[in-house]
Amino acid sequence: MKNERELTCTAAVMFALNFSIILFYSLICLTTTFRLCGSLGAYDFLASVRQVPRYPWQMLVQSLSLYALLCVLSLFKSLRSPQRFALRMAVCVTEIALCAGIIFSLDFYYSGIALLVLADLVHYVQSSKMRLCFIIVLSLLFAFGRYEIVARPAGSIAFNAYLSYYNQTAQSWFTSLESFMVCLNILMFVLFMILLFTGQKDENTRIRRLNEQLNQANDQLRDYAVNMERMTEMRERNRLAREIHDTLGHTLTGIIMGADAGLALFDAAPEESKKRIQVVAQSARDGLTDVRRSIKALRPDALERSSLAEALEELVKNFCMTTSAKVAYSQEAGPLKLAADEEDTLYRAVQEGLTNAVRHGHAGQIDIRLTRKGDVVTVSIRDNGLGCAEPEEGFGLRHMRERLELLGGALTCGNLDKDAADGYTGFFITVDLPVRSRKEE
Amino acid sequence: MRGHMWKRAEAVLLALALCLGLTGCGGSGDTVITIGVYAGSYWDTPNGDCYQILDHAIALFEADHPGVQVKYVSGIPTDAYSEWLAEQILKGTEPDLYFVLPEDFDLLVSSGALANLDERIAGDPEFDASLYYEPCLRSGQANGSQYALPHESVPTIMFVNKTLLEDNGIEMPDNDWTWDDFYDICARITDVDSRRFGVYDYTWLNALYSNGAALFSEDGRSCYLADEGVQQAVQFARRLNELNGGYTVSGRDFDMGRVAFRPFLYSEYRAYQPYPWRLKKYSAFQWDCISMPAGPSGSNVSELHTMMLGVNARTRHGELAWDLCKLLSMDESVQKELYAYSHGISPLPSIAEDGGLLAQLHQDVPEGGGFSPEVIHHIMSSAVVVPRFGAYSQAMIMAESAVQETAGGQAGQSRMLTAQREINVFLSKP
Repeated sequence: MKNERELTCTAAVMFALNFSIILFYSLICLTTTFRLCGSLGAYDFLASVRQVPRYPWQMLVQSLSLYALLCVLSLFKSLRSPQRFALRMAVCVTEIALCAGIIFSLDFYYSGIALLVLADLVHYVQSSKMRLCFIIVLSLLFAFGRYEIVARPAGSIAFNAYLSYYNQTAQSWFTSLESFMVCLNILMFVLFMILLFTGQKDENTRIRRLNEQLNQANDQLRDYAVNMERMTEMRERNRLAREIHDTLGHTLTGIIMGADAGLALFDAAPEESKKRIQVVAQSARDGLTDVRRSIKALRPDALERSSLAEALEELVKNFCMTTSAKVAYSQEAGPLKLAADEEDTLYRAVQEGLTNAVRHGHAGQIDIRLTRKGDVVTVSIRDNGLGCAEPEEGFGLRHMRERLELLGGALTCGNLDKDAADGYTGFFITVDLPVRSRKEE
Repeated sequence: MRGHMWKRAEAVLLALALCLGLTGCGGSGDTVITIGVYAGSYWDTPNGDCYQILDHAIALFEADHPGVQVKYVSGIPTDAYSEWLAEQILKGTEPDLYFVLPEDFDLLVSSGALANLDERIAGDPEFDASLYYEPCLRSGQANGSQYALPHESVPTIMFVNKTLLEDNGIEMPDNDWTWDDFYDICARITDVDSRRFGVYDYTWLNALYSNGAALFSEDGRSCYLADEGVQQAVQFARRLNELNGGYTVSGRDFDMGRVAFRPFLYSEYRAYQPYPWRLKKYSAFQWDCISMPAGPSGSNVSELHTMMLGVNARTRHGELAWDLCKLLSMDESVQKELYAYSHGISPLPSIAEDGGLLAQLHQDVPEGGGFSPEVIHHIMSSAVVVPRFGAYSQAMIMAESAVQETAGGQAGQSRMLTAQREINVFLSKP
């Protein structure tokens, strides 16, 4: 609570004040008893009260030790705040019992201690039913725990009887001091209650405001969820399109080219042609499996079976078998241990690059190089094909770019220099993928 | 774990507080019980060895109860005893057992300082109420319960100036004399001119007790000022006074031997009758004592003062205190010593009416005077115990002033009724 500090201070003042009041009453009774005895007033006193008082030290010792227990209990309650309901109840009931004990041991001269305990418990107890219960009990204690009202216990003597030993001036001093302290206690109690209830009101307003904010946030979240679903659907649709393109497109290109080659060789070298067609058939079967896979898990089959490096080698080998292009593949990136999505992306990039080089550039020479600099794996694909007259991204490239961007990577592509010395004068694709560093297991 | 320690610390604190709360801690070694006693004589008579009886009783008690010590504070004068006792009560250090002066009895009972002895009496086969004179035991009763046991009693008796009677040719009256005999003798003796008077200090209260009347009820709730028995006493006292013709008889007249009668405490009789004390006071004439004259509806009785013993209601040695209390009150060897070391009458008839002891006592009295066991029996067993309640002294003052204002006759009767009503109103206040 916001004004917790003020509450604690007020409570501390109340505890100190009640200590002084208890001390006041018991010291007056104690010292007056001994003064009476020292000034031959004992018999007259006894005759006027007609009551054997309790042992002179009894009030002081009893009330102060009970009060000390009460303080310890209150401190224990606020410092350790026990969780079990039974224990909390026991603490509260004990406090009330101690309060009654103190009132009793003070011969009912003073019942303001009930206000102290009331303040303490109302602050502590949250359940409104219990609160009401305590308020009733303690208010009764406060109202009726008065010397003038209760049936007096044995050995109790009116406080005024003690005061009447003193002269008028001293009596009025003592009475003023008494009422000052008692009134101050009531004032402090009222202050405590005001602080407590205003604090609770603030708290309630704050909670209501927070609640409104929470409701707003919930609404927003619901909207987000709807959007997200739509977006996910879209992305999945795109991804499916990509997969179909990647697998089917690639395989079919290979099949067409292999079949063409087979046809061309059919008459000249039937044996060779047969071999080619067998490869085509195998490629078609692989493609089918790939499609099935894609549909099932949307993952490249090669990657499913083996590591990225092996899958790439397999891909290149198969590509060389099905097309006439020569592929130079160099893996300089060291051991490749990447996440599945990263592997997928790189694999698809290489696949797309190869397909594009043959399909669009009619290239005969393709160079693929994997390098790694820190966390960035780079794949560069170059060919000696025709290049691209208008560098307009087709379906494949766009998907590759999208796929890369999802992982924070980048794609650059374009025509190579027509006069390059190494013979690669066609098209190039460079893929930069920052890989998430994976701990070596 | 920490919670555990916390709980333990709390338990220790609680135990400590409880220990502190229970005031007073038991000592080790011998059990010590204390007894509150005054120095000298309560009856205002010279007493050389006031602790003799107590010391004797303590010796008996300690022999009977090994491991128990009895202690008392000596040297508290009688007139400071009530204050001393009140101080001890306020300080919470009152003795386990203490002597109760007749005038303190009501205060000590109503303030709860004295233990109610009913249960002890009921549970103690040794205690026998029939061993006592009933009025003595009644002195220690309040609200129908026994709060104190009698130690010694002193009735009021009539002092007679034998020399004066003889000079006027009047015989010494008997112990069963009446108001008429009394008035007759006074009338014959009184001669205001030659300063001879019948009686000094005889009030309507003395007359009232011997007329079988009571001024207040036992519980101190009502006053019987206008009753016939009381009125007879008032009239009788007035008639006696009228004999003096307006002269106020003084104590000096009495000391000079010019007055025939004077109400007297038995203790003074006991103190000054034997040699050598008889030489100190009233040596100018022969004197003796007899019982009070009986009124028309009463007998030869008088007010009884009883010194009592009570057990502290807060004592932790109730059983021992009760035993010692019983010893001082009931034990015959202790009570016998009253003859030697005090001036009261034992509350036990077996001691008070012991012929041998009485004869020993009266050996100094010339001409074989003194009280016979029968007279003692009559005085003691029919003595009046005046109830002393809280408002007694104030109510008494009101009654006294009403009596003083009243002249005789019809007007007097109505004044008495008015006064009685006023006193009743006063007494009915809480």
